[in-house]
Amino acid sequence: MTLTSKTMIKRPKLKSAMTASSAKPLSLADAQALFQKALLEGDTGILDLVLDNSRTSRTQLFGVYKNAYSGRLTEILVNDYEYLAVYMDGDDFDEVARSYIAAHPSQSQNARWFGGRLPAFLRTLPLNADHPECADLAYLEKALADAFDAADVEPMTLAALAQYPPDDWGRLVFTAHPSVTVLAVSTDVFGLWKALKSDEAAPDALYQSNGHVAAWRHDATPMCRVVGDEEAMMWTEATRGMRFDALCEMLATFDDPDTAAMRAAGYLQGWLTSQMLASAVLAPEA
Amino acid sequence: MAMTAAQGTDVLARAGSAKPDYLGFGLGLRPQHYTDILDGNPAVDWFEVISENYMVPGGQPLKMLDRIRERYPIVMHGVSLSIASTAPFDPKYLADLKALADRTEPKFVSDHLCWTGVHGVNLHDLLPVPYTREALDHVVARIQHVQDHLQRPIAIENVSSYVQFAHAEMPEWDFIAEMAKRTGCWLVFDVNNVFVSAFNHDFDAYDFIDGIPADRVVQFHLAGHEHATTHIIDTHDAMVPEPVWELYRAAVKRFGRVSTIIERDDNIPPLAELVAELSEARRIACDMLPELSLT
Repeated sequence: MTLTSKTMIKRPKLKSAMTASSAKPLSLADAQALFQKALLEGDTGILDLVLDNSRTSRTQLFGVYKNAYSGRLTEILVNDYEYLAVYMDGDDFDEVARSYIAAHPSQSQNARWFGGRLPAFLRTLPLNADHPECADLAYLEKALADAFDAADVEPMTLAALAQYPPDDWGRLVFTAHPSVTVLAVSTDVFGLWKALKSDEAAPDALYQSNGHVAAWRHDATPMCRVVGDEEAMMWTEATRGMRFDALCEMLATFDDPDTAAMRAAGYLQGWLTSQMLASAVLAPEA
Repeated sequence: MAMTAAQGTDVLARAGSAKPDYLGFGLGLRPQHYTDILDGNPAVDWFEVISENYMVPGGQPLKMLDRIRERYPIVMHGVSLSIASTAPFDPKYLADLKALADRTEPKFVSDHLCWTGVHGVNLHDLLPVPYTREALDHVVARIQHVQDHLQRPIAIENVSSYVQFAHAEMPEWDFIAEMAKRTGCWLVFDVNNVFVSAFNHDFDAYDFIDGIPADRVVQFHLAGHEHATTHIIDTHDAMVPEPVWELYRAAVKRFGRVSTIIERDDNIPPLAELVAELSEARRIACDMLPELSLT
């Protein structure tokens, strides 16, 4: 049907401003509450407040909103957890999405943050017992997404470190770049993520843990890699404010004490070249 | 926070209520096209960005926006202001919106005549408003609050809708006209949305066009939809169909020279396809308004 003239179907006359059951005019707040209740809980009270059109029922017309609600939120989750959706293969992901949408209605005005609790939600599902890689993958995808649009803070460089006299290095305390997340995982989620990215099969040793995986942003690109146990321990303590000399002492208790300082310097160099640190300050002399 | 009409007027006086400049023919900016835009300098006069996509702490989205706005005028178009909601405004959302507007210096800031949720929940949809006097007073106060916060007039767009409320007291166009008159806000006239709502609610789209104050319209949106026989679903995922082009001709005739975009939200085609579709909008507008050919 085209709109070529003013010989359109006449607009139906609007009813009175009263509800059917009460003489009190329906408030905007009440109308919105009923509308939302219908979308979230399937309540049908809203159907008393809206009109059919000349071709179909109000039930079908309101159904457009109902379908759009679950469809839109599922689509947001598919976009945010692209590889998880592929790995879980359609129906299983849709079921998880439906459960998540019901358990965690969006509380943010920006849809960017709606899916933020999906990784933790996955951990609570019976599915997690046999497939912990699903939650691991969700955590990794979230960490990469968070890295993508994390705050713009100039990363610390090797040159900036070189400005400190070597005798002062022991007193350095580092701050992580806001784009960095280091995850503790129980599967080879890094291998799984790489396989999905390359459209390949999941790794054979999927349930052999990576230990830790780091996600961060290098220039504008989100990156991730496996982090060994020693480096993960040093990262955790470094970003909690432990001085570099104390970090070296901690590493000496973890492995060969003779090479502890060298190993610590190696990890530090890696963090600096990959832009995982934001800054350093000198702690006061002991 | 409600404001009096006098306070709202003061805001507009401070902000300067001159009508935004005519921008020509633009597109909704989509991340899929960043590289083509930056590498190709396509024949697009301006871009409209989804505000919420850039209301993030930092990173690539804001860097890309900075680069594109060096070359093209930008308009900010939000989807979550929830101007008609009875829930209080989220102060962080308003602060982030203002910070983005201050950083981006858009030609104007717009959002939709709708609500997106109440009671702490966001449904992420553009939900319909009962066109009652109570709702009008509420929306007017909220627009004035936002304009005061942003220190600039905003533009409000008509949405597609699928149900109309039995207790409505006026048609949508009267609600919009009165809203614009009382707040000084500008209007984004979404041609496709008028077409969709007219079909779904059995009203004459030309009555809608005639009922909108021409001097408040600062932008046209053009888009496609999905026809379900008994009703039309606004998908914004297809080319602009002929009936919408036809309504666009009537809108150009009534409103004159108005900044226009094609808005595609799903099934995003290559940039070149949208640029080609945009040339049809340009051709129609130039046919209707020959003086546009000279600009």
